[in-house]
Amino acid sequence: MSLKKTQLYQYHKEHGRLIEFAGFEMPVWFEGIIPEHNAVRNAVGIFDTSHMGRMRAEGPDAERFLNYIVTNDVSALEPGRGLYTVMCNERGGIVDDLIVYKLTPERFFVVYNASNREKDFNWFLRHSEGFDVELHDVSDEIAMIAVQGPRALRTLEKISSRPLSDVDRFQIVETRLSGVEAMAARTGYTGEDGFEVFIFDATLERPEKALQVWNALLEAGEEFGIKPCGLGARDSLRLEAGLCLYGNDIDENINPLEARLRWVVKFKKPSDFIGREALLRIKEEGVKRLRVGIMMEERGIPRKGYEIWDGEGEEKIGVVTSGGYSPTLNVGIAMGYVPREYRKIGTPVRINIRGRLARGKIVKFHPFYDETKYGWRRVEA
Amino acid sequence: MSEEYKVPEGLYYTEEHEWLKVLDDGNVLMGITDYAQKQLHEIVYVELPEVGKDVERMDTIGTVESVKAVSDVYSPVSGTIIEVNETLLDSPELLNEDPYGEGWIAKMKPKNLDADLKELMTAEEYKKHIEALHH
Repeated sequence: MSLKKTQLYQYHKEHGRLIEFAGFEMPVWFEGIIPEHNAVRNAVGIFDTSHMGRMRAEGPDAERFLNYIVTNDVSALEPGRGLYTVMCNERGGIVDDLIVYKLTPERFFVVYNASNREKDFNWFLRHSEGFDVELHDVSDEIAMIAVQGPRALRTLEKISSRPLSDVDRFQIVETRLSGVEAMAARTGYTGEDGFEVFIFDATLERPEKALQVWNALLEAGEEFGIKPCGLGARDSLRLEAGLCLYGNDIDENINPLEARLRWVVKFKKPSDFIGREALLRIKEEGVKRLRVGIMMEERGIPRKGYEIWDGEGEEKIGVVTSGGYSPTLNVGIAMGYVPREYRKIGTPVRINIRGRLARGKIVKFHPFYDETKYGWRRVEA
Repeated sequence: MSEEYKVPEGLYYTEEHEWLKVLDDGNVLMGITDYAQKQLHEIVYVELPEVGKDVERMDTIGTVESVKAVSDVYSPVSGTIIEVNETLLDSPELLNEDPYGEGWIAKMKPKNLDADLKELMTAEEYKKHIEALHH
């Protein structure tokens, strides 16, 4: 089976090191993971995220349908606003995490993971029976670029037909980017301020508009030191921000309460939703394990699948679900699941790094970095 | 992306991309090749063997990690580790910048050098080996 490509494939092929990800041929880096990571933390970087799943949901029942599918409360959205949420199966396991935007009262736009494109769309279709809603998979018709970093706003504004500084987090607006019809949402997957832009009429066969915006961004951001970024930096940035990667940190056997995503489960919203009953029961009973952040206190890089042990090194207590080297903190960091009693910040743990029980401790992880210095909440000097 | 890989003459090579240099005093120096460092890219962490350790040819004697990947380092020959490049602990990027020079990993006293050298590749053979990996 041949790998899928995005609208920006030509650029990636010429400038990047390509790998397979979720069935797509994608750049893992252009210059290198560390310089790209640092460009986003300190200035601005752009990512091709056109491999992600995107769907339009339209009709009189669109809102009611989405509110039945996801755990967060779509009915609380004003037009032009979006929210982060998960959708669960009947057991309360996470089918995917996603963003739902309400464009108008009857038109919604949904963005979900590349690795779940088919599974999710089938899930939406299967559960849409009985609702007056039309679902369109527009993943291959609309290109998607993430513009991220403290200089993302200034970069994007240079090519935008409308000012963007008044756009709130999770707000989505229509604009033209270097003359091309688009939407810009103030969201991202890096912990930094920034936008995810959707470029209309950019199909795989006619990708010119996507390439035009991509190149215009590189030119607009030149004065700030913009870098095109690959999936490597995308992963290291989201890990530092403590954001979940589907398939690593969350999956159908993990529920949002143990994943510390309780805040996106709205038990009190006006309508029922898939998994509600199971999640209520889990809430009553209490969860046994929790997602935590771990920082190494001695040399070593924790990786996905490595065992987490208690501080004395006496017993295995969990498994790392995402781990790696943090370029910002210059230390190994990880997320994983451990029993409740180990959740407290400062609790010593060990990571089994190829047979050596290296010391680490439980830390604040959402994000791992100092929020006054990095990330969208940072205090600008 | 086509890339050029440095393969100095006079060194010996393993299939796993370690190089070996025979020193005048009969000891050997080893490290990872330019090809290995380019495949890993951005090396951020190194684990070195213990000085004094006796190892067999192709034993794992260390680990090299990039942001994305973990790679074992194998001993090209049997013998004793007599010195390790501790500078790499704080400056693992030397493995990227100068894999055959400042990025050396260990100095060893070999046990069966003549027999072990027969198992290793010459620069010419190693060039063909990495070319084959790319086609």
